[in-house]
Amino acid sequence: MTKRQSGTRANGAVRRRVLGIAADGALILYFVFALFPVVWMVILSLKPANELFSTYFSFTPTLDSYRTVLGAGQDEGVPFVRFFLNSLVVSLGAVGLSLVIGLPAAYAAARWRFRGSENLMFTLLSFRFAPELTVIIPLFVLYQQLGLFDTYVGMIWVLQLVTLPLIVWIMRSYFADLSPELEQAALLDGYTRKQAFFRVALPLVKPGIAAVSLLAFIFAWNNFVFPLILTSSEAQTVTVGALSFLGGDRPKYNLTAAAALVSVIPPLILALTIQRYLVRGLSFGAVKS
Amino acid sequence: MNSSTEADHGAASSDDAAVAGAPEKASAAVPGPPAERGVPKWRRTLRPYLLIVPALLLTGGILYPFGLGLYYTVFDFAASKPQPDFVGLENYRRIFTDSSFWDSAWVTVLYAVGAAAVETVLGVAVALLLHRSTLVGRVLEKVLILPLMIAPVIAAIIWKLMLQPSVGVVNHLLRPFGLGGVQWTDTPTGALLSSIAVDVWVYTPFVAILALAGLRSLPASPFEAAAVDGAGWWFTFRKLTMPMLWPYVLVAVIFRFMDSLKVFDIIYALTEGGPGDSTVVLQIRAYLEAIRFQRYSFGLSYMIVLWAVVYLAAMVLVRYLGRIQNRAAEVPK
Amino acid sequence: MTGTTGSASIALRGVHKSYGRDTALDGLELTVAEGEFFCLLGPSGAGKTTTLKTVAGLAEPDSGAVELDGRDMTGVEPYDRGVAMCFESYALYPHRSAYDNLASPLRSPKYRLPAAEARVKVHETAELLGIEGLLERPVGALSNGQRQRVALGRVLVRPARAFLLDEPLSHLDAKLRQAMRAELKAIGDVRRTTTLYVTHDSVEALALGDRIGVISDGRIVQTGTREDIWHRPYDTFVARAFGRPLVNLLPGTVTADGHFASAEGGFELPVDVPAAPGTAVQLGVRPRDIALGGEGGALELAGTVYVTEVLGRAVEVTVRLAGGRQLSLVAPRAAAAGLRVDDPVRLSVRLENLLLFEADRPERPGRRITP
Repeated sequence: MTKRQSGTRANGAVRRRVLGIAADGALILYFVFALFPVVWMVILSLKPANELFSTYFSFTPTLDSYRTVLGAGQDEGVPFVRFFLNSLVVSLGAVGLSLVIGLPAAYAAARWRFRGSENLMFTLLSFRFAPELTVIIPLFVLYQQLGLFDTYVGMIWVLQLVTLPLIVWIMRSYFADLSPELEQAALLDGYTRKQAFFRVALPLVKPGIAAVSLLAFIFAWNNFVFPLILTSSEAQTVTVGALSFLGGDRPKYNLTAAAALVSVIPPLILALTIQRYLVRGLSFGAVKS
Repeated sequence: MNSSTEADHGAASSDDAAVAGAPEKASAAVPGPPAERGVPKWRRTLRPYLLIVPALLLTGGILYPFGLGLYYTVFDFAASKPQPDFVGLENYRRIFTDSSFWDSAWVTVLYAVGAAAVETVLGVAVALLLHRSTLVGRVLEKVLILPLMIAPVIAAIIWKLMLQPSVGVVNHLLRPFGLGGVQWTDTPTGALLSSIAVDVWVYTPFVAILALAGLRSLPASPFEAAAVDGAGWWFTFRKLTMPMLWPYVLVAVIFRFMDSLKVFDIIYALTEGGPGDSTVVLQIRAYLEAIRFQRYSFGLSYMIVLWAVVYLAAMVLVRYLGRIQNRAAEVPK
Repeated sequence: MTGTTGSASIALRGVHKSYGRDTALDGLELTVAEGEFFCLLGPSGAGKTTTLKTVAGLAEPDSGAVELDGRDMTGVEPYDRGVAMCFESYALYPHRSAYDNLASPLRSPKYRLPAAEARVKVHETAELLGIEGLLERPVGALSNGQRQRVALGRVLVRPARAFLLDEPLSHLDAKLRQAMRAELKAIGDVRRTTTLYVTHDSVEALALGDRIGVISDGRIVQTGTREDIWHRPYDTFVARAFGRPLVNLLPGTVTADGHFASAEGGFELPVDVPAAPGTAVQLGVRPRDIALGGEGGALELAGTVYVTEVLGRAVEVTVRLAGGRQLSLVAPRAAAAGLRVDDPVRLSVRLENLLLFEADRPERPGRRITP
């Protein structure tokens, strides 16, 4: 009796062990799927042009592709460095503008119940889900009339569609988590409302601001539709730029891979720094971690 | 007391300076008349509105082109016709009687349902596996976010290179299994499935991250009770984990479904709608009509229809989410 | 600074305040004289905190007015009212040290002191509250009791026309609470400054308040000195709010000759009840007005011991009367020694402190009937 019981227990342990290994195996399988494309990009980008189609995994690595993309890009007719800087300018500009405009709105929506605040919040949320082209096509016409086509200002303006809803919604949830009594205490300590906001509320949501700014930056950086339609050369960004290496009679895979990798570096680095705060940002504050 | 504060305070609310009490009295140590000045009611009521004025203006700046777009759809505005005529609902009539609209709508729905479904199942599975917190899991979790942070268009480019029928690495790796010549993006079904695969590659981490956050926030006590009662894994998963996790997963599903209804980047870079019209989803169709062929009004009509569909889907799903969240709040903890 | 020095009287005149569908204050009337220490006592949800916030200007009355020194404060910003408030949640700035929290008012445009003077003042206040050793710590590293004292310090460190204290001792442990209770009133600034002190602890209210106000459902039920409240409670709600063990309320009716007859028929009292015969009334007896054993002249009752509980030097004895009703009394330990459950006991009730109330009604507690 006892012998049989210990036998089943041992069987159970073995079974659990096998299942555990199977689970880890499944996990590894998924991550091979998730990571292999990135690894393959690195490989492609290091291939010399003459070995591009002749080999897969064995070749003489070279940084020529990066050199071409970053330095001598003009030779290929693709000013990639300029695209990179453009991305930086419009993404930073868009996040900056959204913060200046969105923080007070988020604070007001968190602290006061007033007519119109919910309407504003839901209008902003609907921007997040609206098909971009609904706004882009009229803007395409409008921008050409206003001279905003292919300009930084035009891009920063339209990127508000991406960054503003995110910043307002998430910062509202951060402000709402903050007890209003902290600011009330500051008012009684003799500070004005403005000072209570800047000295008490703002420092306490700083981690939230940092996280949401980075996330907004990433989304602005990764946006493709807006620059595709509303820019042509002057204000074009990396996401559109990376496509240009695929054009022409002979697609330059190694250059495309190098350009793709260069263009994903900023968002990846930022994402890894804010991993802890991502959940709330990605779900628009619907899920807190 | 402290006599220097009047000036400091004046700086803080400058508009009150005019009615500030006689400052010379401030230095008197004896209790003076109060310095309080009432702020009129209308100014107090206005306070929150002042804070949202910039956001309102900006929102207006985005709503204006939207309204303009809506307005264009009752004209026949195109690059070839800069002086458009009013055509009423003609654009919409043309769309709804045009089989290519219904084809696009069908492809869009297939894409959205397919992508959202696979991502949900795969994402929840990955989250459950990561929740076991084995050594392997803890290491891999650090890079879970990676595909999600790559611009979808870049992801599509990456996959396009990998799926090249002749020189792509995927077929190279499949060759030993006798599957070397798969025409990934060159057949209608293959192109649609490939696009969905890229979507899955990019967005599964999104579902997994939200589900994992949900799993980690679930109360421990019901699970401990189930373990004490000797409940099996499947029972626990079906009766405890899933009902409590569902609100989190649903948030992810809603985001994914709505976003894939308006997919553009991935298909644009991977197939450009081809082969033929097989992957022309609604946003691609609108792009082709409005930007490529410069028939602004006609392309916009497509977008207005898609916008209405997305909006309706959102309303239904968000209402459902609210019900689920209420029910989840009642789950005994 | 004008308006921020010198103690001020406080008045609330017919203040209504509701949050959505919940009414917090329902026509609240209250006056606190200059320099007075006023305790506002009530159960949670009665509107105590809202009362303080309306006085501070943090909540705006829907109707009615708040006055400081007889001046209508409508629309006056909190920082212009010159009052200091200690929040029940402490509301300490979590990103700053205890020192910075205490120094915060002294750095504000309203109460700014030169840094050196501020440092002296902060250390004085910290010493007063026994938290000098904690000043450099971040508030996150403090215990609840320590935080509460920092919060109190932030109120005391600055000049104020009135102190508004919201349960400022509730999170201290029992011993410290008793010590602080004694010290609080001895603090010079507190003695001089009008203080509106909110608590749910009747012992605290009786110990501290020059006057006491009892609040329920957003209205003041009664205000008065501790003698008023103790001996002449407005209704059974107020009577029950003070004294532990709770006042004994025995239901009964008025007899034909105007006496009180207990409902269970156990006894009759030869006190004159100014109410029509047959009226349902309640007799209120404080546990300390009941003694064990018969003593001539007093009302005598008989019953059996139900429960005994030792309260330090005294013992709370719950006795079951003949009709089944229970009665609590407090007896010296010596007198209660040897009592066991179900032992028969005789009780004598001192007649001079008896209270008579109307019967409780669904809509309001029974009011006291003035003999």
